[in-house]
Amino acid sequence: MKNEKLITKLKAIVAPYIQNEDAFKNLSEDTDFVNDLQINSANLVDIILDVEDEFDIRLENEDMEKMLDVKSTMAIINTKLLAK
Amino acid sequence: MIGNDIVDIAEAKLKSNWQRPRFLDKLFTLKEQLIIKNSENSFYMVWRLWSMKEAAYKLYTQLNPSRFYNPKAFECKIEDTNGIVSYKGFSCYIKTKITSNYILSEARLKENRMTSELTSFDSMDSKYQSESLKINLIDRLSKTYNISTSKLKFSKSNFGIPTVNINSKTINVSLSHHGNFGAFAFTIPV
Repeated sequence: MKNEKLITKLKAIVAPYIQNEDAFKNLSEDTDFVNDLQINSANLVDIILDVEDEFDIRLENEDMEKMLDVKSTMAIINTKLLAK
Repeated sequence: MIGNDIVDIAEAKLKSNWQRPRFLDKLFTLKEQLIIKNSENSFYMVWRLWSMKEAAYKLYTQLNPSRFYNPKAFECKIEDTNGIVSYKGFSCYIKTKITSNYILSEARLKENRMTSELTSFDSMDSKYQSESLKINLIDRLSKTYNISTSKLKFSKSNFGIPTVNINSKTINVSLSHHGNFGAFAFTIPV
């Protein structure tokens, strides 16, 4: 999937959980879910489940380990989509 | 070394849905899922176990500076208000305090009483909460050590692990906030 399209989808997924509007407006590949968007760690699992639903993929524990920022999440989604 | 984690009950009800498909399986081992299922109040058990895992993770990353998201790998055992969490070769003791408003867990390498101090916020702004929790921690340390707040330097490592420095001594600290509540804890350096 094209990066722009992927980032737009990801932005819609994280929107309900963000606690920093400015960081959200400027969301890029370098954005960190916790440090930048101030997403509570209790909601990271919701992002993972939403990603699974949106892209119709399943994420294992090893995939989840790195899903703390936009870049790693995009990389994992792309890997999973290619393997489909 | 110390880790703590607070869960605001109202916030957990409002902002999370533990009953959504695959939620439990992502965070909890089969044993833990059974504990949740057999618990009198499954909602409380979900968040109790979650706070234990988070507190243990914070302690673990103080010992092993790193950053990752793998709550399921932190396996919990519960006994009364105590618990043990294990991850790979690491394990720690947990104290948990449960009220109708919040669940608070504190992780230590050796069994200890609960030392975390609670703050309730009048604003839901995340940045404001982090800042005021930090100020409360610094004030508390200033009183404990009878030292001016300007001598206490709060910092976070590249992995986001917080510490406070007094002169050349490093104090391990842990901060947590969720919903309307925050809690800090610290260890007295030897």
